[in-house]
This record gives sequence, C-alpha cells and structure tokens, in this order.
Amino acid sequence: MNWFCFVWTVLFSMVWQCPAAPSTPSPTAPGSTAQDEVECPSNCVLLIYSNRSTSEAQDPLVMTSTELNPDHYEAQRAAHAVRYYLNTLYGTPFRQLSFSKVHQARTEDLGEAGMKYLLEISVKDSLNKSSEKLCSAEVVYPRGETQQPPKVQISCAASLQLNTSAEEEDFYKRYSAADSAVSGKDIPDSYGHVDPEMVPFWKLAGVASTFIMLNESNENTLYNLAQVAKITQLESQNGQLRLEYVVLLHDMISQEIIRWKMLVSWSPAEGVKVSDTQLLPKCHCKPPTP
Amino acid sequence: MLKSGLLFLLLSFSGCAALLFRDIVQQSTTRNYDYTKYHNMSEISAWMEQIVKENPGVVTSQTYGKTFEGRDITLLKISVANPDGKEKKAVWMDCGIHAREWIAPAFCQWFVREVLQTYRTDEKMKEMVQNLDFYVTPVLNIDGYVYTWINETTRLWRKSRSPPPANCTCYGVDLNRNFNANWGTVGVSTDCCSNTYCGESPASEKEAQAVTEFVKNRTKEIICFLTIHSYGQQVLLPYGHPQIMAPNHAELLEAGTGAAKAMTAVHKQEYEAGTPPEILYEFSGSSKDWARLAGIPFSYTFELRDKNEFGFLLPEDQIQPACQEAYAGARHIITYAHDKFFTDSNNAGAVSASITLWVTALTSYLITYVLE
Repeated sequence: MNWFCFVWTVLFSMVWQCPAAPSTPSPTAPGSTAQDEVECPSNCVLLIYSNRSTSEAQDPLVMTSTELNPDHYEAQRAAHAVRYYLNTLYGTPFRQLSFSKVHQARTEDLGEAGMKYLLEISVKDSLNKSSEKLCSAEVVYPRGETQQPPKVQISCAASLQLNTSAEEEDFYKRYSAADSAVSGKDIPDSYGHVDPEMVPFWKLAGVASTFIMLNESNENTLYNLAQVAKITQLESQNGQLRLEYVVLLHDMISQEIIRWKMLVSWSPAEGVKVSDTQLLPKCHCKPPTP
Repeated sequence: MLKSGLLFLLLSFSGCAALLFRDIVQQSTTRNYDYTKYHNMSEISAWMEQIVKENPGVVTSQTYGKTFEGRDITLLKISVANPDGKEKKAVWMDCGIHAREWIAPAFCQWFVREVLQTYRTDEKMKEMVQNLDFYVTPVLNIDGYVYTWINETTRLWRKSRSPPPANCTCYGVDLNRNFNANWGTVGVSTDCCSNTYCGESPASEKEAQAVTEFVKNRTKEIICFLTIHSYGQQVLLPYGHPQIMAPNHAELLEAGTGAAKAMTAVHKQEYEAGTPPEILYEFSGSSKDWARLAGIPFSYTFELRDKNEFGFLLPEDQIQPACQEAYAGARHIITYAHDKFFTDSNNAGAVSASITLWVTALTSYLITYVLE
C-alpha cells in the first residue's frame, strides 16, 4: 500500500509539471518602479536633455539660391516641417495630414532673416487616401544661437479645411461625459499594439505632438512620435476635452528619445490646442556601486 | 476501490504522457515557430539550435565573440556543397545591432527560413546556394536586445550595455558608430549619454570586435555584407562620410536602386536608395562603411518598415509584409553580387562549348569538301 502511494505521488507530481511554459516574455526587472513621467531609479541622476545638435550641425548651404534634390534630406526635413504645420491647423483624433512626395525643392538664403525652402509637395489626407493635393509650401528657418520655430506657409491651406465628421462628434460627446476619466500608458506597447479604443487618443497625441515638433524643428532635426508614455484625462473646461500627455519623441538625426509633457485640449469646433509644454529631464544611470 | 484507483492512475499517467509528448513534438520542430511574432533572446537561441538540428549537413552554428555582459554572439552558416568542388563565396547578414529595432532580428529569422525552404526548389536560389555560403547573425547586440525586453521603460534602448567611461554616467555605445571606418569624424557624439556615442576608441566594443575579427579574415570570401536596421524604408550604400565615395559607387547605386524598387513593388510601400549623407544624415563608424573599406564590394544598410507611424514599435501584423519586402531587397542584391562573380564562368563554359561546335562543324565541312 505504501508503494502504491509513493508511485501515485510521483505520477501525480509529473502531471503538474507537464503544461508547457508560455512563450510570451515576463518582465524580469527587479522592483519595477511606477510609471512616473520622471521615473529615475535611486542610483541614477536626472539631467535636462540637451539636444541642440547645432554643435554637430552640417554646414548650412552657402549659396543664395540652390536647386535641391527633392528626395534628399534637406528637402525632406523641410517637408516634415510642413507636415507638422498642417496638423497643428487641421489635425484631429480622426484626421492626420502628411506628404507622399516632394516634387521640387530649392532654397533661398535670406541672410539675417534665415534660410527659406520652397517646396512642391503632394499632401496626403488620412480621411481621403486616394486623392492627394499638389501644394506649394515655404519654410523659413530663422538663424541664431537659440532654437526658434520655422515659419511655414502653404498654398492649399484653405482647401484643406473640412467640416466636422460624425465620428468626431460621437467621440467628443462620449468623452465629454462628466464621469469620463480616460487614462493609459505605453501606447503603442512593445509589440506595436494599440487597443482599438485608444487609437483616437494615440492619433490625438500625434497631432498634439506636431505643435512641439514644429517649435523644436531646425535644419538638423526630424521628429516623429515614438510612443505615448502616459495619458490622463482632466476635467473638461469651456467645452473642450482636456488631456495631459507624456509623449516620447524620436529625433531621427540625433537618434534621441525626448520626453515631453503637454496639456492638450480639443473640441470639434476649436480643433487641437496645446499648452503647458514641458521638456522632461532624462535619467542617466551611474553604474551600480560594487 | 483498488480498481478505480488504478484506473485513475492509468488515466492521469496517460494524460501526462500525452502532454509530455505534445511538448516534445512542439519543442523539437521549427514548423510551429511563429515567424510573425517577436521573440525574446532565449526563444531565438532555441530556434537557432533547432534549425541546426533540422538541417544537418546544411546549417551549422558558430560562436564568434562575446557581448560585454558575456553572452555568446552566434551566427548560423548555411552551406551546401558545390557540385563541381568550386571555391565558394559568401554573404554576411547581421540583425539587431540597434536593440530597439525588433523587426530586424525578426527578418534574419525569416530570411533563414526562406533560404532553407527554397534552396532545393527555386532554380535561382539552388544555383546561388551552390556558389554562396550564408552567414546570418540573428541578434548582434544581444545585451541591448535583452535589455529592451525587460519592461516598457527599456523598450527604446539603442546602444550596447557597456558601462560608462570615467567622468561620465551613462551606459552603452552606439555600435553603428564604433567601427573603424573614419571613426569619430562626423555624425557622432563624444558624450557617453548620447545615443550616437561612438565609444572611447574604434572597435572598443566587444560586439564590434567580434564582427571585425570574423569578417576581416574572410574579405576575399564575402562579397555581400548586409546589416539590417529599422525604421525609414531605405537602402543605404557606403559611405556615411560626405566626402568619400566608394570605388564601385555606380554599381552599388545600381544594385541598391534595384533593391529599393523590388521592395517597393511587393506592397507598394516606398523604399529609396542612396548614401546616408544624401538621404538621411552623415555619420561615420558604421559597420557597412567598415565592410566596404575592408574590401567587401556590396555593402548595405537596410532600414526596414515603417516610415514614421509606428517607428520602432512596428506591430506584429506588419512583420510578414515587412519581411517580404526586405527579402525581395536582399535577394536582389545577393543575386546581383552572385551573378557578377559567377556568371562569367558560366559564360566561359558557353563560349568553349560554342567554339567546340564551330570547330566540329568547320572540320566536318572541310572533310566533306576534301573528300568530294
């Protein structure tokens, strides 16, 4: 009888070991800290990010007027500035503007006034993917030691104006409810996944980020939204949805990830507005003390 | 009671055996491996071992260095015997030199599977595999890759994980600025906290040393060096430095442009080809620059999907189309390089065959004429 129990115990224990381990990774960070936007473990220091790649800048074009290859980086970066500008004007959680191609580009050196880029670009509208608008745009990057935003103009601005869509109205109504308290973090996640319900908030972050990206643009930057670190919905005010965002911007040229906090308000009538932008310090970790 | 107890034992034992059997079957074949999901380093290592097991005589693995944290850097070598015993050339591919570019290691695994699935049936691949060996490193910057898997706050890490130098506080060196190719001249930072920190000296990083040592002993053998990155949808040719041009720039551009066209054709996503100073930004110390300087004729950096919507966080449902595009581009360049080095001998064969034919025809005509 004892032998029987022993065998049974052995066999029973084998059953419990059988299920295969899942293949998805599990976090192994010891004591992961809470998702605070200025998270920095104790052995690390906070430093203000100093991007200003002007010290490693490529030589600015010296000629007074030069034809540019529209596929090369100079014209492309200026086209991105146009993209940021268009989204500050017309972007919504359901509509983003971009460009498919730069057809022609040249520069005009305005001396003290800065460097002007003249572009012919095809503007793409996420609401109408099949048709593109050919537009003329101008981007003037000011000269100087400190960062100043470029001034952008585009010929087809008026024609890009659209009425509010039903989707936008529904979204606005839904999240204007007094008890609405949307929150989220790490969007997209590590696998590139975005919860369907969070997609408009992610897109809104992209539009709102263009305000910052435009402000921070110069001839040596190229910004994209890398990830939304944190979203917190605040109480609506004056009919505007309000959200506090922490976003991670990727600058292609320096390859840095730059953290910004911003207050975003939106309504179909008023469009997207951004205020209280704050550059967040970066965490630099000292080696662990032996 | 004893009967039901025994029955229960039998059932649970057979249930357990079935589960064990299922596990063994699942673990021992890469047929169930999901190439359209991102895998952590231990899964990738296990996959590499399986690929070697399942392809005896064709795939071997080789450890050619160590990371800073002491992990083995391993490549898979795909090698089929040349039927005429001719000397073979080789293709080098590495992925994941930048930790956060997860689509790159996914592509290296995809590439290996694609070659192994087609080398017996696709006529061109069959020919190429007889003339070319493939050295594929699925993850080069293993320390960095492992770091990006810890949690969401580490996902966007780029560099190696070596400790800071004196008087600085940040970890890691940008491995793609650390190679001995105009090292430290342009597009780099000397601030160790910067994401483009080039290190204290050329090839100061063990990962860069590993590639350098392996490849420099094989520069006559390797005709194609492909290093895979994301994002941006570009095919980059040497050099990152704006003032030097590769001696074979014209053919590099031709093959690169052809690759970009082939990639664009797959799913109508725009890819473009050019040197970094033209289409991206100038920089020095890259592995593709070092490879070209070391004498490898066809050396490229691939920047895979996307343009700027998801960036480094490319969704898993885009792994397949991204890999299909990258494969089309890689295959184009490999074919170009292969045909440059191996079609000449085919032509020589054709020429000698036609000479023989003509001599025979002429001789028989003359004999006929003389005998007449």
